[in-house]
Amino acid sequence: MLDEPYRWIEAINNRRDYIEDQLRMGSPVVGLSYDEGLLLLTIGRGQRKIFEVHDRLALSAIGHTADIERLRMLATDTASVQGFQSSVDDVTLHRLSNFVLGPTIKQAFEAVFASAYIIKMLLAELGSHGQGHQFVALNYDGTTRSNQSAEVIGGTEKVETAMKSHLSNSDSAGLSFTSALRLGLEAWAVGWDVSPNVENSNYIGAEDSGQVEGGNSRCEEENPGKLNMDIEHIHGVLKRELNQGQINVGVLQESRRSKSKFRSISAENIDAAISDWL
Amino acid sequence: MEYKGDFLDLLKAHDCQIQIDPPAGSINTPSNHPEWTEGTTVVATRYKDGVIIGGDRRATAGTAVIYDRAEKVLQIDEFSVLAISGAPAVAYEMARVLEHSFQYFRRSQLQELSIEGKLRMLSRLIRENLPMALQGIGGVIPIFAVYNLQSGGANGGQIFFYDALGAHFESADFATSGSGSVWIRGVLYHVNRWGDVRLIEMDERQATINILRLLDAASEYDSATSGYNPKSKIFPTVKTITKDGIRDLSVDQLSLIYSQSVETDHVG
Repeated sequence: MLDEPYRWIEAINNRRDYIEDQLRMGSPVVGLSYDEGLLLLTIGRGQRKIFEVHDRLALSAIGHTADIERLRMLATDTASVQGFQSSVDDVTLHRLSNFVLGPTIKQAFEAVFASAYIIKMLLAELGSHGQGHQFVALNYDGTTRSNQSAEVIGGTEKVETAMKSHLSNSDSAGLSFTSALRLGLEAWAVGWDVSPNVENSNYIGAEDSGQVEGGNSRCEEENPGKLNMDIEHIHGVLKRELNQGQINVGVLQESRRSKSKFRSISAENIDAAISDWL
Repeated sequence: MEYKGDFLDLLKAHDCQIQIDPPAGSINTPSNHPEWTEGTTVVATRYKDGVIIGGDRRATAGTAVIYDRAEKVLQIDEFSVLAISGAPAVAYEMARVLEHSFQYFRRSQLQELSIEGKLRMLSRLIRENLPMALQGIGGVIPIFAVYNLQSGGANGGQIFFYDALGAHFESADFATSGSGSVWIRGVLYHVNRWGDVRLIEMDERQATINILRLLDAASEYDSATSGYNPKSKIFPTVKTITKDGIRDLSVDQLSLIYSQSVETDHVG
């Protein structure tokens, strides 16, 4: 039946719906630049979510764990072989995302009789040789989106839009690690707050205005693009989530003496950065 | 492919040959081989804070000095150093494979390779290089020094040396390798046994003086080992490995210690 173009498109669309449904609940990931490099952060429930790929590359993802592992291995293997055969300078995010990961994901997505990757990926590259940092978000259909200063992935488009608008409304130039971490956490909470199927996600609506559907729509209507107006509410979301989850932060930091610039930030260091804040 | 984090397997799966694989077509006439680049002195001792490890800078081919800035003491990861003697082509490739292997294991398996795992990896590389070593070309006998963070407060400095077949041994206090090592092994024994301060009790400065003097002594008797070259200010490479990681002694530090404690007629 799939030899008919219409059926094929229908099958692809079904697959899109299916994957999007699987991704809806994913905990968002924020990538941000700060004065010493860049960071990736998310809040997870026990599982590690931020990974080192190569000397100057890191990744994070939402989706099915097995798919994340397969693509993480593909990225790590490719980067490692290339870095060994040639040079670390030749292992670039552009090559990895556009020539390796993107095509692999797209191919699986369109092969309707085989399984697709249930994944959204955020990759980050520490800038060098006068080039700025680079973030690339890879979608489950193989499309990419890149940005120099900040990028996000979230369960739905709405989540991503909300997070981005929070980031673009905040002053994010030359942040210290602590400020970047806090801004990233706020952006995470803004995204999580509009995630579907999340308990209490209609927190404002239920409490303040009696609306059942999307309390945040209130913000959107009255102040489009100003989702960060209610900072106390955002902090409330964060506090609640931190009771059950842990903050995961990985940085690529230029000042590290080792050639590998990646470092997972320990729980103590994270606590120190947010202890007098929330 | 199974994900067990083995970098050599990964390279093989990608048809990527490393330079320590014997070249296709055998080289079995050592009598007409060109002069291979080799010769060195490297020495490591344990001291109060961990391990100090030094090496001269000369690379020779026969009687010719090929290069006087060779680095023979190489950082492999945050807490391990490889000191190489023998054929640089093989030694550098070994160091590179080792460095990438440790990183690959960490990145793919999300944990550091254990010290035992690191030692076995190096054994495997030496073993794979055996055919070249037996033909008189490309033999490499390294020293591998680490700081073991799991030492529980005790001095975590550990020094390992290898034989040509890849067996590793842990040395109690010191190890030395290369053509100049024969001249100083006895000195090390003497210093450790009857010196005023035992090696393990030396502070960084005392240990550095000891290393620089030993390399100077080796260069006195071994033409393939360089001493300090005052014209071009080339000093031996000296690194320390402690619980805080690996540190290079700066040219200024070495220069000062040289003038105060090595280039003297007699030190009281």
